[in-house]
Amino acid sequence: MTALLDIKDLRVTFNTRYGEVTALDSVALHVNAGETLGIVGESGCGKSITALAAMGLIPMPPGRIAGGSIQLEGEELTTASEARLRKLRGREIAMIFQEPMTSLNPVFTVGQQIAEAIRLHQNVSATQAFRDAVALLDRVGIPSAAERARDYPHQLSGGMRQRVMIAMAVSCRPKVLIADEPTTALDVTVQAQIFDLLNEIQRDFGVAIILITHDMGAVSEMADRVAVMYAGRVVEQSTADNVLDMPQHPYARGLIDCIPALGKGETELKEIPGVVPPLHLLGAGCAFADRCTLKNARCETEKPLLLNHGHHLAACHAVEEGRR
Amino acid sequence: MGMSFLLRRLSYGLLLMLGVVVLNFFLIRLAPGDPAVVIAGDMGGATEEILESIREEYGLNKPVLTQLWIYISGVAQGDLGDSFFFNQPVAKLIGERISPTILLVITAQLLSIMLGVVLGVLAARKPNGVMSAFVSVFSTIGYAVPVFWTGIMLIILFASTFPVFPVEGMQSIKLRNAGFFTQALDIAHHLVLPAFTLAIIYLAQYARLSRASMLEVLSSDYIRTARAKGASEGTVLFKHALRNAALPILTVAGLQFGNLISGALLVETVFNWPGMGRLAFDSILRRDYPTIMGVLFFASMMVVVANLITDISYRWADPRLRGRT
Amino acid sequence: MSNMTDHSAESPALEAWRMFRRNIPALFGVAILALIIVLTLYGQLFYDGDAFDVVWAPHEGPGVTPEFPLGTDYLGRDIVAGLLTGGGPTLAVGGAAALITMIIGISMGALAGYYGGWVDNLLMRVTEFFQVLPALLFAMVLVTLFSPSLWTIAIAIGVVSWPQTARLTRAEFLKIKELEYVTAARAIGARNSRIIWKVILPNAMPPLIVSATLTIGVAILFEAGLSFLGLGDPNVMSWGLMIGANREYILDAWWPVTFPGLAIFFTVFAVSLIGDGLNDAFNPKLRER
Repeated sequence: MTALLDIKDLRVTFNTRYGEVTALDSVALHVNAGETLGIVGESGCGKSITALAAMGLIPMPPGRIAGGSIQLEGEELTTASEARLRKLRGREIAMIFQEPMTSLNPVFTVGQQIAEAIRLHQNVSATQAFRDAVALLDRVGIPSAAERARDYPHQLSGGMRQRVMIAMAVSCRPKVLIADEPTTALDVTVQAQIFDLLNEIQRDFGVAIILITHDMGAVSEMADRVAVMYAGRVVEQSTADNVLDMPQHPYARGLIDCIPALGKGETELKEIPGVVPPLHLLGAGCAFADRCTLKNARCETEKPLLLNHGHHLAACHAVEEGRR
Repeated sequence: MGMSFLLRRLSYGLLLMLGVVVLNFFLIRLAPGDPAVVIAGDMGGATEEILESIREEYGLNKPVLTQLWIYISGVAQGDLGDSFFFNQPVAKLIGERISPTILLVITAQLLSIMLGVVLGVLAARKPNGVMSAFVSVFSTIGYAVPVFWTGIMLIILFASTFPVFPVEGMQSIKLRNAGFFTQALDIAHHLVLPAFTLAIIYLAQYARLSRASMLEVLSSDYIRTARAKGASEGTVLFKHALRNAALPILTVAGLQFGNLISGALLVETVFNWPGMGRLAFDSILRRDYPTIMGVLFFASMMVVVANLITDISYRWADPRLRGRT
Repeated sequence: MSNMTDHSAESPALEAWRMFRRNIPALFGVAILALIIVLTLYGQLFYDGDAFDVVWAPHEGPGVTPEFPLGTDYLGRDIVAGLLTGGGPTLAVGGAAALITMIIGISMGALAGYYGGWVDNLLMRVTEFFQVLPALLFAMVLVTLFSPSLWTIAIAIGVVSWPQTARLTRAEFLKIKELEYVTAARAIGARNSRIIWKVILPNAMPPLIVSATLTIGVAILFEAGLSFLGLGDPNVMSWGLMIGANREYILDAWWPVTFPGLAIFFTVFAVSLIGDGLNDAFNPKLRER
């Protein structure tokens, strides 16, 4: 079976004042119809760039797709015309963003903004589109939807705005929904509600979700499969259970260790020492080497490839060599 | 829109106008010499009889506060005094000349905003492109050219080399009795050069401002959202971005209005446009103070009204401000 | 991403100077302005002729007589002589007016921003009132009332142009007075006047310097406009006056109005190039746009 969205060997570069910097390298991911793929990693690992690449929204210049392919239902997106991408965006593949506060246009009502999304892809009248927008707002759990549709974004709470974003994203029944840190800017209680809503939406609409997050808790609740990214590469990929229960890559293990386990009486929050290296300073070796407790000479000079280790794909010399 | 907001802005505008009246009153008394002589103006032949009637009318023998009250209540009833040079009430003089000025100023304002915004938006699409460089050079040049000199250069150019636009006045004498449409067309024809002269400085500023404003807006999250919906580049630019980028442009347009009137003064003088600027120029040469003060009063009123309109349209354009007072 | 070249050890003024030094348009502006100032100050040492003297036939074209390279005006006065003497008053009034503008504007803005409350309210209402008066018209009225001289013109321009400086100063003061070093100064018992002038003002200077530069340009245009209307000092030749005096004859002779206009343009253009350069130098981040 071919995947719904299939990213192969994707390489994205950006022109910066430090010269051409590789933001994504050899990224391979896929998501099947109706499933949820979690992409995890710290900030600056290339999660959002991957999402924007799938949407065809990488700003070019300074960005450039330097290699690889992105296929949506077998259709190549990296070489598709802007007009074709515009048709797919919103209709086949939609996205919701981290900041519901700033992601809605402040000078239009939320109803207008959803109706616009509908009319961009469906041949319906303005009144019908607005009625559909109200129905969608109702569907995503906004009370008195007909009145709220006439509100401006600043009149709604953060959670409500994210619901509006979700309504807008699913308005044309897309096959893929990319949710880029959809709850990071929200209160903890609201976070759970948004995840519940996304689960419901997936069940009812049959949409595949790519959930980008650094919250392993969210991944364990939502994702069927998980890809761990580090410094522009996928370093581990498997089912959610596999990654959560027996992570292979030292970075993935570090991330899992950081989840505060309930009831274990641990008071100290763990973290992986060090930071993600700036992309323009990446050397020849493994990007994680500087922070890795298992590194050896090979890790400093040779980039590990993403290889199949039983149930896991992992890119690590230590895993390859069975060092622990 | 809240009524209380409107009322508050209106009464503040009235307060500002009262301030202008008081200022006018004290300016005449600050001038060196007998106020009656100042009011009579530099006619050389102000007889003692005329001076006495002025003292009587303005109550110049009474205490200052009484004089102020007489002056204010006069203005409130539309009496701005009499011009001794033109031998007419000042209010009438200005009433005859205010429409050409309003026509000139508003045309120039619209022209500069519309052309400036188009230039700025085109430039913002490519921040390092040719258009951006042009906008930046053009706005520096536009800022540095004296507006009266631009007018003169255009007159030299269009009077002899390309005689397609009239360079003087507002109407052709031979068309004074023509039909409404012919006359309107004639006025529009005469308006081209003065309006363009006045617009050119501000056009450059609006281009620069809207470029900067658009660049900022284009990098915002909701623009990304619009693109993610599948909106076309035109929709993104002109619907989603421009509506937001217009807010600072609107603010500046309001603030610029006073300067625009100052510029109109010079442009009217250069093109012999029969408006308040010409009147101000003529009355200043004759030291006809009642007329000068009347022009200052009406010009300030135009600014106050323009500010009021800006305030209201700003609240219309930015829903975040609605409902606040 | 971190900045690879680290100049944090340098003082901000030095860093700004380093930026300015590499800004070609700004240096070009400095060169033009320096040339204009030198010509107006010392030009008469090398070029004989009084701007008011009728020396030749009227409306002699430029380049016709080598003695009068830019020709003569409607009375037969030498245009080069006019340009050389006419720059002095324009520059002097421009500079003095900008100084007055800055003094009034900074004082009003500093007091309003620092004290806040009713002081702020009162001063800002006054500022708004002055913004309602069309500046050139108000300046015309003042000059007419108090008879034109270089000083009254400079003062009139200053009195009508300060509101923008006041608003800018106020905004800077509002921002800076919340910063820690101001609290620290207050904690060691510094008096208000000391905090305003010695602690906050120096830190508010960069945008004010840029604004002062642009104010000089505006003041020069104002002076030119007033002289053009015949409201300048009638005994002093100035570029604006040259244009105003020859305005009736533009269709017979273009040169008596064109050259003084170019002189005004290049002066203000140079000043604004310098202003833009200073702005870039003080706000290096904005340059990446």
